[in-house]
This record gives sequence, C-alpha cells and structure tokens, in this order.
Amino acid sequence: MDWTLNLLLLMLLLATAISVIRIKDLLAAAVVFSAYSLVMAILWTQLRAPDLALTEAAVGAGVTTVLFIITIYRTVRKED
Amino acid sequence: MRKAIVVLALVGIGVMLIYAVGEMPPMGDSGNPDKVHIAPRYLEHGEEEAGASNVITAVILNYRGYDTMGEVAVIFCALCAVVAILNREKPGLSRTSMDVSGVKASVVVRTTIRFLVPVIIFFAVYIILHGESTPGGGFQGGAIIGASIILFTLAFGLPESTRKLPLRFRIPLESFAVIAFLAAGFTGIVFGVHFLTYLMPGLSEYAAETIRHIMMMVIEIGIGFAGGIIFTSIMFAMIREDQCELQPDSP
Repeated sequence: MDWTLNLLLLMLLLATAISVIRIKDLLAAAVVFSAYSLVMAILWTQLRAPDLALTEAAVGAGVTTVLFIITIYRTVRKED
Repeated sequence: MRKAIVVLALVGIGVMLIYAVGEMPPMGDSGNPDKVHIAPRYLEHGEEEAGASNVITAVILNYRGYDTMGEVAVIFCALCAVVAILNREKPGLSRTSMDVSGVKASVVVRTTIRFLVPVIIFFAVYIILHGESTPGGGFQGGAIIGASIILFTLAFGLPESTRKLPLRFRIPLESFAVIAFLAAGFTGIVFGVHFLTYLMPGLSEYAAETIRHIMMMVIEIGIGFAGGIIFTSIMFAMIREDQCELQPDSP
C-alpha cells in the first residue's frame, strides 16, 4: 500500500473540505467541491471500490457541480 | 435558563451516544458479525446464488434488491418533484440566457465535444452491459450518460439538445427503471415465489438461468438509461428560461 500517496490524498481531501465551508464565493465553493469529489474518487479506487469511484467521479464531480452552478446562476444574491 | 436546558440535553445525548459507541463491536475486527456470516456467504455463493460474477452487482441486484428498487424510486421521485416545481421545457420556446445572448461556444469546444460525446456514451453503455463481471453497472453508466448529455447541452445550447432528445422520447424512458424492477419483481410472484426472486421454479436449470440473466440485464439497462435521462431532464428543467423572461432577440 502506497501510504504516502494516500496521506497526500487525505490531506488534500481535508484541505478541500475545509475550504468548501470557508469560501464565501458560492461559485468557487462549487468548483472546490468538485475537486473534493475528484480526490474522493481517487481515494475510492485506493480503497478497492471502483464502483463507488465511478459513481463519485460521474455524479459528484460532474453532474452535481453542473446542477450547483446552474442553481447559483439562476438565483439572485440577497443580503440584509 | 433555556440555554442551560438545551446544553444539558445535548450533553446527555452526547454521553448516551458515546456510551453506545463503546457497546459497538470494534471497527474492522475480523470477528464482527458482518465479516463472519455475511461477507463469506456473498463471496463464496454470490456467483451461483445471484448469477453475477461481480459480487457488488450480485449484492445490488439480488441480495439487496429491495434497496436498489427503493433508490431507483427515490431518483424518480426527485425528478417528479423538480418537474412539479419547475415544469418541463416547452419545445421550441425554452432557451437559456446563454442561447439568447448569441455568444456561441468556440469551435474548439464544440468540435471536441462532438467527438467526445459518442465515445463517452459508448463507454457508458459498456459499463452498463458489463456490470455483471466488471465494476460498474446501471447507476454508474447512467450517471455517465447524463454527464455526457449535460456536456452536449452546455456546448450546443438547450434548443439543440431538446431537439435531439424530445419529451416524447424522454418521458417513457424516465420511468423505465421503476417499471422494469416492478415487472421483474411481479414475475416472481406470478411464478409462485417471493417478490424479486429471479430464479423461477418449475423450469429446467438452463432456462431458469437464462431468464434470470435476461431479467438482470433488463433491470441494469433500465437503471442505466432511466438514470441518465432523469439527470438530463432535471438539468433541462433547471436550466430552461422561457421566452417571456428574456430579451426578444432569439433567432
């Protein structure tokens, strides 16, 4: 088991997960969330779960990101 | 006062949860019930009992068939909710503001996507049809089909996509997975065994195996295409804007 790669991926996962919450710009957060899904997909293959990796890459990184971006695009900003 | 009660209640629940975690079997221990009874059974008998050499497909379609049926129904309900709120696109009228602005995607993007989309769909069909022996299956292939159609829409615009995939073509496909699952389930009841039993009694072994194979194939294809089309329809419903909402300078 290549533990350095896994450690690197896990650190990247943590970094992306924390930045998704911290980033104020919703569009940037959606893009970072897509990166999170991509890292997660690589981790699924490392965990010998190729089925989940396929789903995560297609749904997590692809479809949901597009749906998020459409939603951000079609809604308006409203602040007090 | 109320804050104190809330904090006390939260602490109480937390203590109970931590106590419950202590009662659980140790994580990853080889003596856990799931490793002693369930996993060996799936691994040793999955192929002859469920008829799929890929154990995950065997679990998804056979041992946990009810779960998968529920998931398919959940995706279908999600589509129903989205369509109930946002409505379908109107043929020839629905556009996105991207289409109306008249700025087309560049030639590079459009040519790349025109070459890539058939390859992606081909890969998705391979994943769906080969799900019995290799990783993947209906859900994965369906998600890839949906993603490819979304890619096409983003490059060529909504009118072109809805022309290629009209409503009369999408509506029957959307419910195909649920219908295929229910049909397979009730076939078992008709033959006098339980719901979602694929192996029919009273037939020769070869015939029963063949029927099981065909039924699992139909369910996989159903999940795949229905999943992809449902993703597409949700995306169309979300992205569409009607003519009246936009500036009237469309072609």
